[in-house]
Amino acid sequence: MVAALTLDGISKRYGGFQAVSDLSFQVEKGSICGFLGPNGAGKTSTLRMILGLQPATSGRIDILGADDGRKVRDRIGFLPEERGLYKKMTPVDAIAFFGALKGLPLPEGRRRGREMLEQMGLGEASKKKMKELSKGMAQKVQLIASVVHQPEFVILDEPFSGLDPMNQQGLEAMIRALAADGATVLFSTHVMQHAERLCDKVVLLARGRKAFEGTVDQARATSPRFLELEGALDRNAVAALPGVSAIETLAEDGAVSTLRVGLTPGAEAQSALRAAFLGGLDVRRFQMKEPTLHDAFIALTGDHPDEDQSVGKTDTMEAAR
Amino acid sequence: MSRILLIARREFLAYAKTVGFWLSLLAFPLFAVLGGAIPVLMKHAEPQREAVIVDETPAGSGLAAAVRQALETERGRGDIAALRMAAVPEAGTAGGDRVREAAEKGGFDAGLEALKKEAPRAAAGFKTPKRSFELVEAPADLLAAAPGEARDALARRYVDKDAPEGERLNAVVFLTEKDGQPGARVWTGRATDDVVEDAVRDALKSANRSRVFVSSGIDPSVVAQTERFRPEVSVFSPRAASGGEVSFRDKLPVIVGLAVGFLLWSLVMTGASILLNSVMEEKSNKILEVLLSSASATEILTGKVLGVALLTVAVLGAWGGIGAIGLMASVPDVARDIGSVLLTDGLFVWFLLLLVGGYLMYAVLFAAIGAFCDTPRDAQTLMGPIMMVLIVPILVMQMAIRTPDAIVVKVISLIPPFTPFVMAARAPSGPPLIEMIGGLLGMFLFAALMVWAAGRAFRAGALSDVKLSWKSFMGAVTGR
Repeated sequence: MVAALTLDGISKRYGGFQAVSDLSFQVEKGSICGFLGPNGAGKTSTLRMILGLQPATSGRIDILGADDGRKVRDRIGFLPEERGLYKKMTPVDAIAFFGALKGLPLPEGRRRGREMLEQMGLGEASKKKMKELSKGMAQKVQLIASVVHQPEFVILDEPFSGLDPMNQQGLEAMIRALAADGATVLFSTHVMQHAERLCDKVVLLARGRKAFEGTVDQARATSPRFLELEGALDRNAVAALPGVSAIETLAEDGAVSTLRVGLTPGAEAQSALRAAFLGGLDVRRFQMKEPTLHDAFIALTGDHPDEDQSVGKTDTMEAAR
Repeated sequence: MSRILLIARREFLAYAKTVGFWLSLLAFPLFAVLGGAIPVLMKHAEPQREAVIVDETPAGSGLAAAVRQALETERGRGDIAALRMAAVPEAGTAGGDRVREAAEKGGFDAGLEALKKEAPRAAAGFKTPKRSFELVEAPADLLAAAPGEARDALARRYVDKDAPEGERLNAVVFLTEKDGQPGARVWTGRATDDVVEDAVRDALKSANRSRVFVSSGIDPSVVAQTERFRPEVSVFSPRAASGGEVSFRDKLPVIVGLAVGFLLWSLVMTGASILLNSVMEEKSNKILEVLLSSASATEILTGKVLGVALLTVAVLGAWGGIGAIGLMASVPDVARDIGSVLLTDGLFVWFLLLLVGGYLMYAVLFAAIGAFCDTPRDAQTLMGPIMMVLIVPILVMQMAIRTPDAIVVKVISLIPPFTPFVMAARAPSGPPLIEMIGGLLGMFLFAALMVWAAGRAFRAGALSDVKLSWKSFMGAVTGR
């Protein structure tokens, strides 16, 4: 597949703080790529470099055939992590204005804006001022404003943050629709479930370095599978089962305990279960657990995706080119 | 529409749609009209005071008659001035002067006739100015009372606020003479109301002067003539437009220069402050990053500067238009003279260039500062010292009125941050062309440097959460 975005050995340093180190990955045209990592992992810095808002300290970026995002900014849609629109503008005017900045004629921007607001259930709010809208509504308006010009490449920085579950579902549907229409979508998040449901590909980032690049299934495969066993279980007997690599006690109620049993990569859960029953272990309940992307992230990086890695970031600001 | 024009359009409309913009647009002309109208309205609204004069001077002194005459003469002067003022808008200053001369020679009626001839429309609507007080007949009991405590007690009763309506007086004036020196004792209803007191004091001075002259054997008509005498002082200068005698037209350029200097200062500061607040609002509302993903920092900065410039031009146009109409209606001669000053030697173009350069310098600087700030308090770190420096041109401009060629004025007018204002004040006095061009060149070079530096600082500030300080600001400019 043709790559819409290629990062080749990108690094970013703010004074004494290394935000991104030697990052390389590709996003194929028409795909949905999740850019995953905890807060402070370097996601926003990378996205800003892709957009050309900040220069890379070293490395090369190719986006839509250009070596600088600014050269193709009209073909890119961007939703920043920290959102805001002019409070005194109406949603339709705001959408048309940002569309016009991307080359869409104002009347067409207004027409599309009204249409998209209607589709998102915001028809009633289209003539209100932005300051009168709820946070969820304003976020939808901003998302529309970032894609109203029908960009080829859409970059969404933490698009799900601040949205309630209903709106998160709506946004997921919208991202799928964008990709179905041929747009390439790159979105950053630290919530793995969204990426699991949406992405053709994920790039995991921890402490400014790439930890993984591939499909969700490939990511999961890097993580051990688990068995959850409940009963009056002897830990030593469980440890002796074939393929068992680790045991964690999840709950204990007298003699009955719930154990989370980690399996070595490639080991079959059925073999371990069979051995348990043949060995007469008191297993009252068992459950096979496939690893999640969250598990894969921990396995790949040793970090937790919900932790904040921005600690230690200096106050040094980006100097303009 | 280009991105710059789109941003400029949004910036313009964002402010032009606010009530505050229309209020500030109308506030200046409104206050100018009120400033002129309020004293007139107050004068019209003032109650007609009634005062009496009681002569306590020795019989035959003639002081009371002389005081009454002096008061009447003063009122006559007021009437003549009113006649002239009425004539000026229609007949110009020369016509007004002719009406005044006719009134001085032939009295009020002759002046009114001259007004009818010079300015018929003004004459049709002319009303004699309202007197600040009228002299009425003194009550009989007051005249009959013995001078001293009894009379004062009566005077107190007449001016008291509890005196019966129809009897109440605003002032009672007792004319006195002690050792040949005229004086007066004035009872007034309000301690702070000194209208009658001032008029009586002036009248006494005049009456005394006349009496002294007459007692010295000078013909009373000569004294009256001397009182009316108004010296004609002519000023000559080789720099006068006529080549000799200095006229009001010769002094006008300095006044225009100072006025334009102050106007430029206030316009530049207003425009730059609007930009500062606008960028700060975008920064605090997290709009700058979205904007930066859609347009370059230069485009955003240029668009915003242009939008606010259009706003400033709209305000300037409205004020200038209203001012010009007002001047044309009230003092057409002066309006014509101001027009001719602005058109002489392309002065208007110089002013325009100074406005552009000045606005550019401060607008981009303030916008760059705004990119670092979420609140006005954040901006204070840099704005405080900048505003202090900006007081310098205000002080120097006043100096430039009398001595536009003073070395300190010259030097300061060539320092780029001050050039727009101080050079504007100097320009009408005809400074050497080399200084004008040098000043402008320096200003535009400095403005270009500011645009470059502010562009860098703007982009860095827009994406940064760093606290604003001189160090961080300069770090953004230098890229360290």
